[in-house]
Amino acid sequence: MRGIQRHIDEFTAQRVKPVAISVDSPDVSRNFKQRRGPTFTFLSDPSAEVIRRYDLLHVGGGPGEHDISRPAEFLLDSSGTVRWVNFTEDVRVRARADEMLSVARDINKVVAVPPGGKTIL
Amino acid sequence: MRRRRGSLWLGLAVCLVGALSNLFYFLNPPGQAALPWISLLVPIAGFAIVVFGLWRTYALPENYGGRILGPVFAIVCLILAGGSMSGFFHARDLPASARAPRVGQKAPDFTLADSEGRMVSLSQLLAGPGEKSGPPKSVLLIFYRGYW
Repeated sequence: MRGIQRHIDEFTAQRVKPVAISVDSPDVSRNFKQRRGPTFTFLSDPSAEVIRRYDLLHVGGGPGEHDISRPAEFLLDSSGTVRWVNFTEDVRVRARADEMLSVARDINKVVAVPPGGKTIL
Repeated sequence: MRRRRGSLWLGLAVCLVGALSNLFYFLNPPGQAALPWISLLVPIAGFAIVVFGLWRTYALPENYGGRILGPVFAIVCLILAGGSMSGFFHARDLPASARAPRVGQKAPDFTLADSEGRMVSLSQLLAGPGEKSGPPKSVLLIFYRGYW
């Protein structure tokens, strides 16, 4: 999260919109944004409905056996198709911002792949 | 003659270095996938060195000292190695997420409240209204554990 904010100008330049999602309430997210300074969008899924739909629910993973989201990142293209995913094996190891930027750069470069197979850059 | 206790100190140092490797997670460094193994195995190696030193203290007391230091170091290292083991398994105790969207699939749409309480849908995010440079070319969904 910190890494993304540190590279936020590069994300904006690449027209990649980072969106953070967790079970935190809007209040907790607003507080966090004020305290720690991230400027990108934070969404709240307190009932974990979307987290469940994405099959990311970590049952009892939070404090007091609360159900939370496991860490995961999805890069979607403008049609909403998943182009890259990252499911960490270890909560302490998170995708690096520069990794995600380089994936986004590769995806955004390819405008169209016609049936002939030639990639137009 | 002064009796040696070098392996006890070495083992303790290795344990402490292993425990300190936990600080590197915050730096999110390149090659970080190796970090969990470093912070698991190094303290265990340190503990093994201390146990070896302790064994020498008792097996060869004329050459090796540390009858008090040895057990103290062994306990400290046992705690550090145990902590690193439990941290390792706890951090990797994650759901398999077998039904999560995969590459090539459409991401399921959703509508959630942002930090100001406004309802925002994925399709809205994909369509913009974008930043200065127009609608986004891509959206990066970052699911995280939360700060509660």
